[in-house]
Amino acid sequence: MDANMMAGFDGLPDEDRAIMSSMIEQLQLRDSLRMYNSLVERCFVDCVDSFTRKSLQKQEETCVMRCAEKFLKHTMRVGMRFAELNQNASTQD
Amino acid sequence: MASPSPYPPGVTKEQAISMAQMEMEYRVELFNKLAQTCFHKCVDKKYKEAELNMGENSCIDRCVSKYWQVNGMVGQLLSAGKPPM
Repeated sequence: MDANMMAGFDGLPDEDRAIMSSMIEQLQLRDSLRMYNSLVERCFVDCVDSFTRKSLQKQEETCVMRCAEKFLKHTMRVGMRFAELNQNASTQD
Repeated sequence: MASPSPYPPGVTKEQAISMAQMEMEYRVELFNKLAQTCFHKCVDKKYKEAELNMGENSCIDRCVSKYWQVNGMVGQLLSAGKPPM
């Protein structure tokens, strides 16, 4: 997703590129934190339904692990396809 | 005294940076919504295993492709209603 973000900034003076680059870093950091929270919420909602105990049951733990792993793999795949589509779009002009 | 501006005429550096930031934030949000939507459409919530199976993989690829098309269509529709800049 982020591989080509700096690509459009080639003609700019160094100082401006530094500003853009730090903006991208900030965006990425913010996005990572947001992804952390939304992953927790999603896996909790999908996997935890009983509140008879304070601790997670074994099957809930397993479910959460699978959920998280699955979502991360999914996000990577989506990222690949997204990058491909982005590239095709920019080479069409 | 100053070297020629690398930005389009009439656009200051501050405006260009602000536009770039908005564009980047838009792109990040587009990606996130795309990922969430296709996960919801394609992945079984029972999480029988940690891997994505072949069906899910195909569904994800197609979902991303279609979402992208819808994105393009809506973009065209929205820009067609505006006066030319």
